[in-house]
Amino acid sequence: MHFSRFLGLAGFLLALTAAPALAQHYYAYVASESADEVALVRFDAGPELAIVEETVPVGYIAPETEGAHGMTVAPDGEHWFVSIAHGTPYGHVAKYETETNARVDTAHVGMFPATMEISSATGLLHVANFNLHGEPEPGTLSIVDAETMTEVDRIETGIMPHGSRFAPDGHTHYSVSMMDGTLHEIDALTGRVTRTLTTGEGTPKPTWVDPHPSRPLAYVAHNGADEVVVVDRDDWAVTQRLPTGEGTAPYNLEVSPDGTTLVVSYKGTGETGIWDLETGTRAARLSNSQSVTHGVVISPDSRYAFVSAEGRGDDPGAVDVFDLRANERVASVEVGPQAGGIAFWKMEETLPSAQ
Amino acid sequence: MSYRFVLGTATCVVACLVFAVSSATAQSLELEPTRPTLQVGQSQQLKAYYVADGKRMRDTTVLFYARGDGVSTSRTGQVTAEAPGTHEIIALRPATETQDRISKRISVTVSQPAVAEIVFDAPPVPVYAGTRVTLSVKARTATNREREDVTVQVESSAPEVATVDRLHRMTAKAPGRVVLTARAAGQTATTTLEVVANPVASLDLSGGADSARTGDVLDFDATARTEAGTAVGDAPIRYAVRTDHTEEIAPGATAEIGSDGRFVAEDAGQYTVVATSGRHIATHTVTITPRGLEGAIEVVGRGRVSTVHTSDLWVWEAPDGRDYAITGTWGGDGEAYFWDVTDPSNITPVDTVTVDARTVNDVKVSDDGRTCIISREGASDRKNGMVILDCSDPTDVSIVTEYTHRLTGGVHNLFISEDHVYALSNGRRYEIINIEDRASPTRVTDFELETPGHSIHDVWVDDGIAYSSNWDDGIVMVDVGNGVKGGSPSNPVEIGRYAYPSGWNHAAFPYTDAATGKDWVVAGDEAFPNGLNTENEPTIPAGWLHFVDVTDPETPSEEARYRVPEAGSHNFWVDGDTLYVAYYNAGLRVVDLSGDLKGNLYEQGREIAHLKSYDPEGRIPNAAMAWGPQPYKGHIFFSDWNSGLWAVELTSEE
Repeated sequence: MHFSRFLGLAGFLLALTAAPALAQHYYAYVASESADEVALVRFDAGPELAIVEETVPVGYIAPETEGAHGMTVAPDGEHWFVSIAHGTPYGHVAKYETETNARVDTAHVGMFPATMEISSATGLLHVANFNLHGEPEPGTLSIVDAETMTEVDRIETGIMPHGSRFAPDGHTHYSVSMMDGTLHEIDALTGRVTRTLTTGEGTPKPTWVDPHPSRPLAYVAHNGADEVVVVDRDDWAVTQRLPTGEGTAPYNLEVSPDGTTLVVSYKGTGETGIWDLETGTRAARLSNSQSVTHGVVISPDSRYAFVSAEGRGDDPGAVDVFDLRANERVASVEVGPQAGGIAFWKMEETLPSAQ
Repeated sequence: MSYRFVLGTATCVVACLVFAVSSATAQSLELEPTRPTLQVGQSQQLKAYYVADGKRMRDTTVLFYARGDGVSTSRTGQVTAEAPGTHEIIALRPATETQDRISKRISVTVSQPAVAEIVFDAPPVPVYAGTRVTLSVKARTATNREREDVTVQVESSAPEVATVDRLHRMTAKAPGRVVLTARAAGQTATTTLEVVANPVASLDLSGGADSARTGDVLDFDATARTEAGTAVGDAPIRYAVRTDHTEEIAPGATAEIGSDGRFVAEDAGQYTVVATSGRHIATHTVTITPRGLEGAIEVVGRGRVSTVHTSDLWVWEAPDGRDYAITGTWGGDGEAYFWDVTDPSNITPVDTVTVDARTVNDVKVSDDGRTCIISREGASDRKNGMVILDCSDPTDVSIVTEYTHRLTGGVHNLFISEDHVYALSNGRRYEIINIEDRASPTRVTDFELETPGHSIHDVWVDDGIAYSSNWDDGIVMVDVGNGVKGGSPSNPVEIGRYAYPSGWNHAAFPYTDAATGKDWVVAGDEAFPNGLNTENEPTIPAGWLHFVDVTDPETPSEEARYRVPEAGSHNFWVDGDTLYVAYYNAGLRVVDLSGDLKGNLYEQGREIAHLKSYDPEGRIPNAAMAWGPQPYKGHIFFSDWNSGLWAVELTSEE
């Protein structure tokens, strides 16, 4: 048991017993691609209110839009990372302290770095280089030592890789390749592609994958086929297809930590789908506060989903908070335009007087 | 104290004990060798040992990674030295069910390859007594790589003939033979030089002028001659300039002269050009007067844009015979504005086009005035690209088509020339697109540099040559139809390139100076060391203009600069002898480029006039941020990031 988990457990037990009731706050970072900024959003579960705590500029060539795209937070919660898609021409990943939101370091990676996650086993950041700029050609994953911010390896996968996510053990990595319809499995220890799977026929355009936290399953969003498919990781086969509705264009998704709920962003219709994984049915289809729904993260207590929405033109971006028990949108907050990558940071309890 | 509190506290204490014990197990990682040292090309296997509870055991699950390119490693720790220096290897033991991950870094020293030889490069011949020449002596490895870190000492066998100092400058004292011996790292080399009698009996200094203005470039030419008056072409000649202290000279007055004899002064006064060859000296004193440019800029009209930032502009005569301007928008709703500027004192908005984008950074118009092209960044579908407009009637503009193929990363700048569009793609290359049938554009080819990490910012086409601006890689000239290299739009052929150390190259504008016949490219910087304030405060950028002589495009040379203090350059335009610069926070600047150029044009008083485009109702009030100028039919139009379109007139009055 890691010390941080121990602290969390101790805090949880104390929270159960202490009185009066503490206010529950949830924090998430969201990147706004057309503003080159990252917003720290705080959601207060009591009054169900979301606010922007701080906005951090992350661009580096001032009048140009470099495209802050992907977000992730280190497992220990001490740093957050943002991928800057448009570079010179290669993109990079920047590392910031969560305590101060000050930049620590950057690492150069591949073309249009998009989504990323850190392995809990190795501590290495795996960045999918989406490379949407030229002729379709195999893209790569950049492997970055998150301590020193050094790209230590680059692994070729498929055309326009996206959706970098690890299995719970941190040893097995998954990504999908949007333009060749392939799910890639990588052994994070050897750095080798161990298995590939074509998850649909025609041009399903898979854009995201998320392994189930306790079952040998992975969920893949088919942006071009209006469906989510379920992959059995043991049999390495698609076992179920969940139609999301015409024009929904599912883009990102996440399985709740308790494994009961799947939340899917419907980019095409500006909506969010909430799915009951016990029954395989959609529990709710809810509108977002802005168009072009993008990213999804779920709080560690599996209670709330935080969904980013890009907007169009000079529309602001937004973060919408969905209550996964009531299946309703309970809060929204405007952020910079083209809000995309989103990462959950922490839950925090404070005395009401300390708010 | 409640029952719940007691129960919870007790549970917490038990949990603390249980988990603290399991997490407290001391563990570490040890590597052997601890400080590996290798030669380039050598390999060595690193071994990892896991230490826990006092036990040390070999651990083959540890992963190895290299930082940087100096060493490479397999994931199992087979390290190979690639380049000299101190490099780092990361060893990583992944987390297990019961233990946290461990990482450890060690340094690998890769020794410099030994000096294999010392080499005298092309010793000067002949060496005249009384002159000084600089020797070139290098220490090289067996692979012919220079060891710049090695100090090479050179000794003379006959100090009465010649001596050599620590900078390898040889002073020839008297005729005779001298053996020079170079030593470093146990290696030696010798060369024998003959110092011959100096035939120079006199030194003439011609050219230049008795008087000139600040900024005028004077060509001096010193000639060494024998007693008989014959020129000694290989006699070394040095130029220097001395500031004569007269009342006319301001404190700090400066002038400079190059090794080619080209002289220029920044301030009025008297300067003496000194030429030397051995013991011979020739001088010429020049009186410099102020350049005396007295101009002013008068605001004629405004097309204020205060709700969104404004980007580039283009002004043209439409088929209806009236004059129009198009301006783009930055960080907005994807709009391009059309203005009737026929009467610059009455600028009138006539149409707006809105596309799926956040920024329309660049706008251009075809020579026939019927086709406009605008760039897109921040499109909601991330396809970006460009949009082709029918602007035959600028009061009723329509979208002909959009073009996104290979442009999905965003188009920041573009140019239109002879039915071809040159469009930047994701700052990586420019695509060349045929728009003869503007409703069905077709890709022709692209041009992309080969340098690692290359990036392009802008492209401008003139007389069949594409001048691209490429940050670290500087300006690159490509034949796309000029013919000098047999190039065409479908076969772009590089002519030459020029880079400078800052890596800030952002824009380029070519012109030919009629008086000297020299071909110039003005290479402009863009830099934001103080950041960019998009909402409330003025911005203080940096950067200046570099004047690069490309008369021989294969050997371009930077000769002059125009640098306004505490400000940053953006876009610019040369018309005849006049330069118009949108100098961001320093506003619009108008500069005299007549004649040859050398030194800092700003300090030389070549600036004719300037206008800081303050607008209390601007997007950021009172924050000049001039973006791009265009001289047109006797007026100067320019866009300002914070306040939109301006029309001004250059007048001769203060």
